Amino acid sequence: MTYGITKRIGSIKFSCLSPEEIRKMSAIKVITPDTYNDEGYPYPGGLMDPHMGVIEPGIRCKTCGCKVDECPGHFGHIELALPVIHVGFIKDIKMLLESTCCKCGRLMLSEDQIKDRMESMEKMEELGGGTIEKKLFTKDTAKDASGKAVCPYCNEAQIKIKLDKPTTFREVEDNHKLTPKEVRERLERIPDEDLRALGIDPETCRPEWMVLTVLAVPPVSVRPSITLEAGDKSEDDLTHKLVDVLRINQRLRENRDQGAPQLIVEDLWELLQYHVTTYFDNQTSGIPPARHRSGRPLKTLEQRLKGKEGRFRSNLSGKRVNFSARTVISPDPLLSINDVGVPTFAARELTVPLRVNQYNIEKVREIVRRGPMADVLDFPYVPGANYVIRSDGRKIRVTERNAAEVAENLDIGYTVERQLVDGDVVLFNRQPSLHRMSMMAHRVKVMEGKTFRFNLCVCPPYNADFDGDEMNLHVLQSDEARAEARIIMQVQENILSPRYGGPIIGAIHDHITGAYFLTHNNPRFDAEEAANIMFKLSDIEMPEPFIDEETKERYWTGKQLFSTVLPKDFNTSFKANICQNCGVCKKDQCEYDAYVKIRDGKLVCGTIDVKAIGNSKGKILDRIARDYGSARAAQFINQVTRLALGALMNHGFSTGISDEDIPKEASLQINNNTQECIDKVTALVDSYRAGTLQQMPGRSLRETLEVSVMQVLGQARDEAGKIAGKYLGMDNPAVIMAKAGARGSMLNLSQMAGCVGQQAVRGERLSRGYWDRTLSHFEKGDLGAYAKGFCSNSYKSGLTPTEFFFHAMGGREGLVDTAVRTSRSGYMQRRLVSALEDLKLTSDGTVRNTVGTVIQFRYGEDGVDPAKTVRGKAIDLDDLFFEVFGEESEEFVHDNEKDVGGDYGSLEKDEMEYIEEEGEGEDMDDFETDYDGGGE
Amino acid sequence: MAKKDTMNALIKRGINEETVALLLTQYTSLDAIRTAGEEEIVKLGISEDEAKDVIQKLGAVRSSSTSSRSKKKVVEEPEPVKMEEVTDFYVYNDTELRLKGYLEEEKIELPMKVIVDIAARIEGHDVSEDKCRELLRRASAMYERHKMDQNESAGVMAAHSIGEPGTQMNMRTFHYAGVANINVTQGLPRLIEIVDARRIPSTPSMDIPLEGIAAQDENVARLVASNIEMTSILDVATIDTDITNMMLIVRPDVRKMEERHIEVEELVERLNKVKAVRGLVKLSGYDIVIQSDEPSYKKLQVMYDSVKTAKIKGIDGITRAVLSKTEGYWKIVTEGSNLKEVLTVTGVDAPNVMTNSILEVADVLGIEAARNSIIHEAMGTLGEAGLDVDIRHIMLVADLMTNDGYVKAIGRHGVSGKKSSVLARAAFEITAAHLLHAAMVGEVDHLEGVTENIIVGQPVTLGTGAVNLIYTPKKKGDKE
Repeated sequence: MTYGITKRIGSIKFSCLSPEEIRKMSAIKVITPDTYNDEGYPYPGGLMDPHMGVIEPGIRCKTCGCKVDECPGHFGHIELALPVIHVGFIKDIKMLLESTCCKCGRLMLSEDQIKDRMESMEKMEELGGGTIEKKLFTKDTAKDASGKAVCPYCNEAQIKIKLDKPTTFREVEDNHKLTPKEVRERLERIPDEDLRALGIDPETCRPEWMVLTVLAVPPVSVRPSITLEAGDKSEDDLTHKLVDVLRINQRLRENRDQGAPQLIVEDLWELLQYHVTTYFDNQTSGIPPARHRSGRPLKTLEQRLKGKEGRFRSNLSGKRVNFSARTVISPDPLLSINDVGVPTFAARELTVPLRVNQYNIEKVREIVRRGPMADVLDFPYVPGANYVIRSDGRKIRVTERNAAEVAENLDIGYTVERQLVDGDVVLFNRQPSLHRMSMMAHRVKVMEGKTFRFNLCVCPPYNADFDGDEMNLHVLQSDEARAEARIIMQVQENILSPRYGGPIIGAIHDHITGAYFLTHNNPRFDAEEAANIMFKLSDIEMPEPFIDEETKERYWTGKQLFSTVLPKDFNTSFKANICQNCGVCKKDQCEYDAYVKIRDGKLVCGTIDVKAIGNSKGKILDRIARDYGSARAAQFINQVTRLALGALMNHGFSTGISDEDIPKEASLQINNNTQECIDKVTALVDSYRAGTLQQMPGRSLRETLEVSVMQVLGQARDEAGKIAGKYLGMDNPAVIMAKAGARGSMLNLSQMAGCVGQQAVRGERLSRGYWDRTLSHFEKGDLGAYAKGFCSNSYKSGLTPTEFFFHAMGGREGLVDTAVRTSRSGYMQRRLVSALEDLKLTSDGTVRNTVGTVIQFRYGEDGVDPAKTVRGKAIDLDDLFFEVFGEESEEFVHDNEKDVGGDYGSLEKDEMEYIEEEGEGEDMDDFETDYDGGGE
Repeated sequence: MAKKDTMNALIKRGINEETVALLLTQYTSLDAIRTAGEEEIVKLGISEDEAKDVIQKLGAVRSSSTSSRSKKKVVEEPEPVKMEEVTDFYVYNDTELRLKGYLEEEKIELPMKVIVDIAARIEGHDVSEDKCRELLRRASAMYERHKMDQNESAGVMAAHSIGEPGTQMNMRTFHYAGVANINVTQGLPRLIEIVDARRIPSTPSMDIPLEGIAAQDENVARLVASNIEMTSILDVATIDTDITNMMLIVRPDVRKMEERHIEVEELVERLNKVKAVRGLVKLSGYDIVIQSDEPSYKKLQVMYDSVKTAKIKGIDGITRAVLSKTEGYWKIVTEGSNLKEVLTVTGVDAPNVMTNSILEVADVLGIEAARNSIIHEAMGTLGEAGLDVDIRHIMLVADLMTNDGYVKAIGRHGVSGKKSSVLARAAFEITAAHLLHAAMVGEVDHLEGVTENIIVGQPVTLGTGAVNLIYTPKKKGDKE
């Protein structure tokens, strides 16, 4: 670890290597096209020459004298017998050849024009133009200069040049092939001044360097050979390619020197060009990729850099780290939302550096004395130490054996890598990390077992469940990082989602059912029950009990118990999720106990459900997080969930298949209703066949039929749901869950108890499969309900084989949809992040990018943090008016405002479907007519 | 050269404004007009004399584009034309003005939206000045508390907030809300289309409210719709080729003609303007006969083809126009989009016409309108899917996309490809090309962005990484 001043890289300049530079930095001239000899030693002057660095431990580099980890490796070089073109620059070479004179090398624009261009470019730079703008501008310059018939300077007639992909230039007129040598000569003639006008900096890149005469050979450490189990060595792809280059290079040189026929030399030259080309990029279009003996295409330079598995995306933008752990997750409702349970096994392995000073030396010594304690996995857990780093940087592994000695030698200035203890700050993450809440800071709690554990309320931000999910944990190593993580990344700081102004962490599932049982219709609890509900809340006093006037017994009410966890000055009122949406709200007198009113931290009336404490909808939670601070919000969530679970356990709760039992008369009613609808469908089909079906405007007759049938069958399902719903009252656990918003919906229930309904693919009735029919069980051309995917049974009554098949068809579409969606949305997000990552809010309130361009003069037009908004609004008007006017504030609320935006976040998927269905029903209303009336 | 400059330049040359407007619909620079020449200009609906005048005033076509470029600077700075003052179409009402007065006295600031919301609530209630002031003071305190922190990475926040719900969106295309028979791409594909800044959306569509009597009377509305929907001859008639007599026989379908408010005479007139059959179209009984003037089968075939594709009525690109009634007023919903033309149709409530083609909005109404269009479309798409995303995130994306004065895509051809850092560009896509070009021009990466700093392994320049704490410890001998 470094202390004190940290250095910062100011900037990085890119440039091309000149042949001289390559020779100068080269440690050795590579001449032998071979790697190791029979004894396994590298050939001198070969590709594995130890001058270029070492890859085997114990051997020293011949250039710098260092061992494996210390030697950075050194470049070598290959002198090419004849120059070859660098594929990467082929387009630029073409541009240069076209825009300059073939004889004098001048840019074919007049002096004035060149001067003009240069001035424009200077001005561009002044105005903050980037490389991209310049690139476009110089492209334009080159385009203007090219295509001239004669050179304006030497009056030489110009011959057009054609590029035969990938690397051959031809003169159009006589089809004469320009050799790389000729190309290089032409490029050499271009004067520096003219290059500047073309945007090329002659200091960093003379164009002739784009035609290679010397090839740099990367250090051995860049292309290490792998020793296989059998003892034979396997070379890296780059080494293979370099061997090819060397071999051809040698042959070319020999042939040329011996004065071989021009044809042979040219062939070899082209072959050398091919090898050098594929050495740079093995996916160049127009030439076959070089292959390994096994037939696998070689991975050469460009392939190493690009793509998802390339150097940039997988090693530079993302890096592998130490001090991390990964294991399966499991729930623990008794942990705080800020905690994470870490198994002892992982805690013994993960360490935090502890710097020894005069105040802590004795304490640290005690830790070191314990040693690594790798086998001590039971409780009580005490931390040991794994490593001690001396002041001189030497790292000593603490073992069972040397622990006492190392502890004794501990001195001020040493760093001890101490094992995790309760309270350490760690980062916890689950992929896919789609938003910033996918990685939050937790406090460690070392626990037994082998899984990471955390509070269930933290599932939504991670999108985690416990069906085998694994998560990662990273231990922070510096005080700075720990402080930052604690202050801005801790779970409690992320309760409010910046996506919408509402909580993303809150009560889920059973918590909500529990809160419902605790508060709905204000049940009474005797001393034992009340204590049972409250005992998990260690830091809360039991409130004063009520005394029953008749029996004189002490009792507590559910609303009273709930009020204990609210802040003492909390005020609010809203409609609960169980609200029946009556025409006129009776407020306090609501017969469903659905109007929540809290005054001075006391729940006066109403039922607590999702709308109060749920994640993404909870209004109480929302208010507390915004106005009372994150610590209070975390405390509230911890307490309210424990309270709810206490209430749920006191009440007892279970759901099962019998919850969907409906009385005989109900199923009879449903059957009758479904049959009626099916008859209607049959009638529709008949009238369609007879041609008497009233055609809808803008639709064909067939479409009209489909729409009507879908509508009728949709009604059939809704009706079945309604009938089933009538018999499933609020005493039914499944209904309670649905109504309180804990889990499931009435649609789910109606499918289970009533009727599954029409199956659809692409929003239409099923139609594909056999000719003119979906399955061979039906007659060809059958357009009836059953033949096209209507399931009249419920999940409980059981589907018929055909219904089951249709249901699977509908289900399959959903699966395919999900698979396609993830990749598409993943790419969209990558692009969005890449485009927006550099934007930040500057101190003057503007949003700017890295160059300082103003993107927004005021963030979001009002400068408000979306996480702190109230459903997108800058301030909470209800709250404001309550502060000023107290109870009178409700008078100010306009009727049209009341129901604005109840829900945050996303509707549950099945809820969506429901809305969709309703929407389609509305579409059919008469008011809408199509003007063109006909169509096919 | 921007359109506006061109406009100014043309007006300076004494060309009347109507002509200028017409010219600008097709050309963006003086050069373009010059090279187009008289004949082309006439096609835009400018009289021949006028066209000749224009060309004369602009001078002859310059020799090459380079010369014109170099002389660009010589062209005098266009005199700032006094633009018609933009009227702030939001007029504050009395209550709002009263609140604004208090705000000024209290020397506090609040966003307009908050003022309007508060005013809407106290409207009609007798609220004393003290209470008003207290309201505003407290509102201001709340507002200040809710402001975003400095150096917050607003961009990443926006990208996450839009990208994350993308995984929950649907792939299917839905029926357009309210109008059952116009399909509009929705869900994730539509969102991707918006950030891609695609020139033509996969399902272009317009929402055209009507004004005046057209909004109330179905028949009038229908007439307007028939003027908007593009009708080709095949929509209203069948064409037969009579080879023996070398003629085409167009047989109009009376019912369809009536539906589309087309008279047979109109049809003849329209067909007579079609190039290949000019002057050959005659009415004979109920049918229209087009007699070929030369006995060539090839010519007949050419005639058939051009007649077949002839536009009879309506606006190019709009394949369907459907009437729908919302809140008691008629409006037209279309398949296909052509904003420029639709705005000129009588009976259309032009200021309220909407199209989902963002680039078209940019072309016709300008970049600010395009920005609003992006926000509107993206919010609509997310809203339709039942996802709640704060509008500020979408505003940021829209502002970034329209920042340069034209609509840029989010991706390698747009925003990401124009980043200032080589390393950031290389890390995104087309790695090698960026690096090689950087080497050629000797590019310098100043390591100001996020990706670059991660690559070299230093703290990024956002959030806590944007600030430095410098502490100079006192030395023993120092006095203070």
